[in-house]
Amino acid sequence: MSRNWKRPVSVTLAATLAFSLLAGCGAKEADQQAASDKSLRVAMALSEDEWNVMRSDVLPKFEKDNGVKVEAVQVEAKDIVEKLSAQQKANKVEIDLITQDVNELYALVDRGLMEDMSSYKDKIPDTVVKGMIDVGTFDNKMLFLPYRPNVEIAYYNEKKLKEANLTPPKTWDDLLKVSKALKDKEKVGRVAIKANLEIDNVLHIFDFIRSAGGDPYVLNDEGSVKAFTFMQQLYPNLSPDSKKANWNFMNQYLATESVYLGQNWPFGVNKIVQEGGKKEIKAYSGWAGPVKESHTLGGEVIGIPKGTPNKDLAVKFAEYLMSKDVQETLVSKLAWPSVRSDAYGKVEEWQKPYFEAVNAALQNATPRGNVSYWPTVQQALLDAFKDIVVDGKPAQETLDVYAKKIASVKK
Amino acid sequence: MKKWVPYLVLIVFSIIMLIPVYIMFKVSLSTPEDVLTAHPPYWIQNFTWDHWQKVFESGNIWAPMEKSLVVATLTMVVGVILAAPASYVISRMGRKWKYIFILGLLFTRMFPDVGIVLPISVNFLEWNLVDTSLGLILAHLIPNLPFLAWILVSTFETIPRDLEKAAYIDGASRLQSLTRVVLPLALPGIAVGALFVWLNSWNEFTYSLYLTVSERTLPLQTFYYINRGDFFQSAAYSVFLTIPVIIITFVLQRYLKAGQLSGAVKG
Repeated sequence: MSRNWKRPVSVTLAATLAFSLLAGCGAKEADQQAASDKSLRVAMALSEDEWNVMRSDVLPKFEKDNGVKVEAVQVEAKDIVEKLSAQQKANKVEIDLITQDVNELYALVDRGLMEDMSSYKDKIPDTVVKGMIDVGTFDNKMLFLPYRPNVEIAYYNEKKLKEANLTPPKTWDDLLKVSKALKDKEKVGRVAIKANLEIDNVLHIFDFIRSAGGDPYVLNDEGSVKAFTFMQQLYPNLSPDSKKANWNFMNQYLATESVYLGQNWPFGVNKIVQEGGKKEIKAYSGWAGPVKESHTLGGEVIGIPKGTPNKDLAVKFAEYLMSKDVQETLVSKLAWPSVRSDAYGKVEEWQKPYFEAVNAALQNATPRGNVSYWPTVQQALLDAFKDIVVDGKPAQETLDVYAKKIASVKK
Repeated sequence: MKKWVPYLVLIVFSIIMLIPVYIMFKVSLSTPEDVLTAHPPYWIQNFTWDHWQKVFESGNIWAPMEKSLVVATLTMVVGVILAAPASYVISRMGRKWKYIFILGLLFTRMFPDVGIVLPISVNFLEWNLVDTSLGLILAHLIPNLPFLAWILVSTFETIPRDLEKAAYIDGASRLQSLTRVVLPLALPGIAVGALFVWLNSWNEFTYSLYLTVSERTLPLQTFYYINRGDFFQSAAYSVFLTIPVIIITFVLQRYLKAGQLSGAVKG
C-alpha cells in the first residue's frame, strides 16, 4: 500500500515543477509587455568608463523629461547583427535603438534590419558634419542618423624615438626612414600598421591609396599603384606584430613597447596613458602621402531596427543624442569629438594634446563610401594587399586583376 | 635511469600548462610599470591589490558570477538526472540497439554550435527564454547531454549485471537495484561526467552570447573586459573565472577512485 502513493506523488511533483517553469516564462512575457510600454532599450558598445558617463550624465535627463526608463545594454558591433536578425525572425524586436560603428553597417543594411530614416532628415541639426550624414546613407536612403565622428590617430613612444634621434614622421618618406632606422637599431621592426587582413587592414589601405590621390573603388589607377608600391617597400621594415594588430591589440603593442609607432582609435589614450600610466606615449594626426594626408572617417551612427515597438520614442532619443547638450557632455567627459560644429566642451588638461590630434586628423577625414558591392571591394583590397605587399608580386599587374573584379560588380 | 623520464615529462608539461595561469595571476597583482614594459620581471616585484579592488568596487562581477554558477550547477544536476537513467537503459540493451543509440547521440554533436545557435535563439525568443537562466540551461544541455550520456553508458557497462541479479535475489526491485547497487558503484563515472558538464557549462560562450542581452554570464563579462577594459582588470576577471573551476575540480576529484569494483563479483 505504501508503495502505491509514491508514484502519484512523484508524477504530481514533476508536473508542478513543469507548470511552474512554464508559468515563469509566461510571467516574464507579461512583465516584458508592461516594461516595454514605459521603457526604451538601447544597445551600445562602450567601455566601463564610457558607460559610467552615459548612465550618470546622459540617460537620466532623457528619462526625466520623457517619463521613461532607458535600459542600456552592451552589444558589440559584430554581435548586434545576429541579435537583430534573430529578433526579427522571431517577430519580437526587443532593441529599440542601436549605435553602431560606421565601418560595420554593411551587414545590417544587407539583411534589411534597419528602418528607413529618410523622413526624419529634418531632425538632423544643420550644424552636423556632412560626412557623418553620408556614412549613414545607402542608395539614397538615410538608414542611420549621425552620432559621433571618430578617426585613427598615430601614437608614438616619444622616449624611444628620442633615444633613436627620430621625430614622428609627417610624410611617407619620413615614415620609411623611421621604420628602417628603428629596424636597423633594434634588429626588429618597431613601426606597425594593421596588416591583419581584416577590416582594420582595409581602412589603412584606404588611407594609403587616398593619400596618393587614388580611388580604392577603381584600384588600378596611378595613386593606388603608388600606394601599394610604397606599402611593399615599407612592409619588410614593419614590426611582426603588424600581422595581428587590430583595434584592440595595437594598444597592447604600444603599451608593452613592442611597437613604437602605430595608428589606432583614440580610445587607446585611456587604455595606454590614463590606465596604463604610459605618459611617454604621445599622439599626432599622422603622415601625408604624395598628394595629401587622408584618414577614413569612423565613428558611430544611430539606427532604429525594423519592428521596434517604440519607434517614436527611439526617434526622440536619437534627437536627444544629437542635441548640443549631449554632444558637449560627450566632449567634456569622454573627449569624443562632437558631430556638430557648434558644440564645444572642455576636455581635461592631460587629454588636450590627444584631442587636438583627433581634431587635426578629422580635418582630413573622408567617409569610406557605401556601395552595394562592398564585400567584393573589401576582399579585392585584402587579396591585393596579400599578393603585393606580403608576397611581393608586381603592383600594376596584380591591381589590374582585382580592379577588373570590382569593375564587373559595379555594373 | 628510465624511471625519472615520465616524471620529467610530467613536470615539463605541467609547467607549460601552468605558465599562462601564473602570468594571468601575476598581471592581476602587479603595478602597470611591471607589466607594460618590453622586459617584464618573472616574479611579482611591485604587488598591488588595486586592480582587484576596482573589479570588486565596480560591482559588475557579482551578477554574472551568480548567473554562471546557477546555470552551470543546474545544467549539471539536470543533465545527470536525465542522462543517468537513460544511459543505464542503453547500457543494458543488446549490442545492435546500444550502438544505434550511442551513434545517434554522437551524431547530434556533429553540428557545430555556431551553425545552430541562430535558429535556436529565434525559437527561444518566441518562447521568452532569452535572458533567462532556464533558457541557458536548456541551451547548455544541447551539447552536454549527449556527451554525458555517452560517458555514463561506458560507466554502466563496467558494472556487472550479476550484481543486480544478486540484488534481485535478495528481494530488491528494479528501482532499488538501480538506486542502491548500480548508482553508488557508478558514482566515479557520474562524478567525471558531472565535472565535464559543469566545466563546459561554466566556460560556455556561444549560446550565452546569443541568448543573453542584459544579463551576461561571467565568461561574457570577462570577454567584455578583454575587449573594452584595461589589461589588469581583464586579468583579474580571468583569475576570478578560474577560481570556481579549481574548487569544483577538487571537490569532485575525491569521487574518482580506482579499483572500486574489485572483489565485488566472485567466481
